Amino acid sequence: MELLALKSKLFRKYLYKEILFKLNRWTISSLFIGFLIFLPIGLVILHIGSFTANWRHITDTVLITYSINSIVLVLATVLFSCVFGISSAWVVTNYKFPGHKIFRWALVLPLAIPTYIAAYAYFDILDLFNPFLIWLRSSFGLNTMQLANDMLVYLMTALIMGSVLYPYVYLLARASFESQGGHFINVGRSLGHSGKSIFWKVVLPLSRPAIVAGISLVAMETLSDYGAVKHFGIQTFTYGIFRTWLGMGDLTSALRLAVILLGFTLSILYLEKKIRSGARYGDKSTKSLSYKRNYLKGKKYIFALTVCILPFTFGFIIPVSRMLYWAWLSKNYLIELNIFQLTFNTLTIALLASISTVVLSILLGFSSKYFKSSIVQSSNRFASLGYSTPGAVIAMGALILVGYVSSAFNIIISGTMLLLIFAYIVRFLAVAYQPIISGFEKNCDELNDASKTLGVSPVYSLVKINLPLIKNTLIAAGLLVFIDATKELPLTLILRPFNYETLATATFDLSNQAQIIESSIPSLFIIFLTVIPIIYLNRRIGEGR
Amino acid sequence: MSTILTVSNISKAYKKNNIHALSKLSFECVKGEIVSVVGSSGSGKSTLLKLIAGLEIPDSGQIILNDNVVNGESIFVQPENRNCDLVFQDFSLFPNMTINDNIYFGKNAPDNKSMIGELISLTHISDILSRYPHQISGGQQQRVALVRALANKPSLLLMDEPLSHLDSALKESVRGELISILKTLEITVLIVTHDAEDALTMSDKTVVLNQGTLEQFDTPKNVYKYPNSEYAANLFGMTNIIPLKLLPDSNYFFNQSSTGQDVISVRPHQIILDHGKKSTSLPEFICQVKNIYDNGRRCKIELEYKGLLLVAEIENDNLLNIGETKSFYIRLN
Repeated sequence: MELLALKSKLFRKYLYKEILFKLNRWTISSLFIGFLIFLPIGLVILHIGSFTANWRHITDTVLITYSINSIVLVLATVLFSCVFGISSAWVVTNYKFPGHKIFRWALVLPLAIPTYIAAYAYFDILDLFNPFLIWLRSSFGLNTMQLANDMLVYLMTALIMGSVLYPYVYLLARASFESQGGHFINVGRSLGHSGKSIFWKVVLPLSRPAIVAGISLVAMETLSDYGAVKHFGIQTFTYGIFRTWLGMGDLTSALRLAVILLGFTLSILYLEKKIRSGARYGDKSTKSLSYKRNYLKGKKYIFALTVCILPFTFGFIIPVSRMLYWAWLSKNYLIELNIFQLTFNTLTIALLASISTVVLSILLGFSSKYFKSSIVQSSNRFASLGYSTPGAVIAMGALILVGYVSSAFNIIISGTMLLLIFAYIVRFLAVAYQPIISGFEKNCDELNDASKTLGVSPVYSLVKINLPLIKNTLIAAGLLVFIDATKELPLTLILRPFNYETLATATFDLSNQAQIIESSIPSLFIIFLTVIPIIYLNRRIGEGR
Repeated sequence: MSTILTVSNISKAYKKNNIHALSKLSFECVKGEIVSVVGSSGSGKSTLLKLIAGLEIPDSGQIILNDNVVNGESIFVQPENRNCDLVFQDFSLFPNMTINDNIYFGKNAPDNKSMIGELISLTHISDILSRYPHQISGGQQQRVALVRALANKPSLLLMDEPLSHLDSALKESVRGELISILKTLEITVLIVTHDAEDALTMSDKTVVLNQGTLEQFDTPKNVYKYPNSEYAANLFGMTNIIPLKLLPDSNYFFNQSSTGQDVISVRPHQIILDHGKKSTSLPEFICQVKNIYDNGRRCKIELEYKGLLLVAEIENDNLLNIGETKSFYIRLN
């Protein structure tokens, strides 16, 4: 009885301290918005219990295949991304050689190329291996050739995806090498270690958290890809979702697959958190220190050049050159394609998505930081799950939500821009929220306390202090969402309004109709639209060093 | 004199580190008083300021400000409605605003133009009003932060280590200016400091905090001369803890928790070298000189008296040698 009274007293205290004292217009709106953004994912999870007759067929025939294919593809892509990303990051941060400054930013450019466009650019890559496969068939029989062919498909798909996704690892590893490397490289050198020994013994273990973060981004992008895996015929979960839903017409089973896919991505997130939490040895106080970079000559120079040229060529030069060549060949198609309308549509939707995502991130981030509300913080964490959720899953969740709303209020939202923008917000909130919340944390925490004690309102604080202090972060956050929204495919394919084409959907549709050459025109426009903000952001990171 | 602030049984624990920052702390501040809060690192000083300012919520207890309960079991007044300004340790000037904009930022500041004008001339910052915080010195930043807080006409001013960022030369002059401004305005102030000299020179009363609990609440002079614990004695500089039985005439003593015996805190300057012309009836201490540290005009000497190590501070003209035995006496009060 006494224990019960004590528990109820503690609960009452918690209720007042953490919830009631912090409830106001800001926190209530944030909680509501957070809930709304999480709702599509929550609704998909709720469907784990639903069954149809097809499900048994799926589990008996393709579920294992989807799982193995997804895991193998993720592992192989991560491997290529790490080899490309870590080696090039180390070379450009630790050595000087003719061209190292150009490669420092050029190595980021493959980020402008979505995986499906990279796949189309290399659509005939497997043809290169035909003589080898023919030799295998004549020497070892059909089965061996088939096995080698399957392996080559995986290997090439992973190589193609890795060559455009490695910048995630490269960017984070580079930032980590530069920020904490400098200090410890100096220490290592003063203790008589060589560059190689410092890299393996000090810098790489120190940068593990950053590299793991990059790897998890690569893994999630690989899992959510639809265009590339469809093109090369690799049956992953995302592929399975589309096939079950659109091919078999079974939304319920597609939703169950979506839940499993969500489980995969959440496991990656959990794993990442687990690995990073054990690695709290980042010295925050250590600012980027200058250290003498060795000037490379001779064989070492050629090696460093190769390390930089390989990923850049695979990930940018070859796809863009081929696209340019194909675009030249199909230039007459430019008018028929109505490219300006496609660009306008893409820009409209990407800009609307960027602005609304940034505005909502400001509201959510400010409420959580200014009022130090733990429940808003938790709600924001749930709302940020969309970035680790494949676009197809979010699209399905949004459709379920729309179904409920339509039947409750008798209005039609499906197939509208509003729904598409909402889904973009769900998908990309974390992209804007993360930099904005760290901007608030870094620049405004104590200043907000000062403004509170000076008696001004939260709106006044937000407008006069917070927003001016993080305006560069806001621009960066908006550009990050813009880049992702311009490239987004699966979500747009499912939710776009009728007859509403974007550059991404046009690229997909054309390649789906075996018009790869013609698809180069919208592809180039996507690359052009995303490459400019990427260069801007990369320069900002360089300046911030 | 009316009471401005009443802190009653305030407790606060941080779950993250499972640390009890404050435990059942109670004290009062009277109008116009300057009260210092001293304690070692982690004693809960800054937490106390944050609780009073409303930037943190206590786990239990009550805070009454201007006769209004601002923290209670089911009451929490938001910081912006407390009329209680906090000057932060790093001053927290808004970097995107000029000094003038910083000063006029507070809710009530636009209504107090004439007072702000006086404060600006009093603090000698009139020629830096159009500059930005990063363009002025640490001492100027400190004064701007003070003016910004005072411009809001708070009923209680809270200051978190206001002098800790200043070098020793600047600290002396700023401390003097600060005392004169605060006394001129007759404002009630609660100052957190780890520097005993700040507490001694600036405040009317001192709250001594030890691991979140109240160790002593008295005038700084009394805490210095008559500390009620070894912890409080050590906070106010070097001291000798001497068993009461060696000075039985003393009216003042406290119980030493580690040994359980009654002891007295004797400051180094209270140990006097007996030049042979003994004019006092105080007990004599025949000590051996163990070490001499020359500080210039004065010197610090380590003495041994029947196994007890003592530190004395005497004039440097006494020609003492290490190893020799001399007679000393202790001047109480």
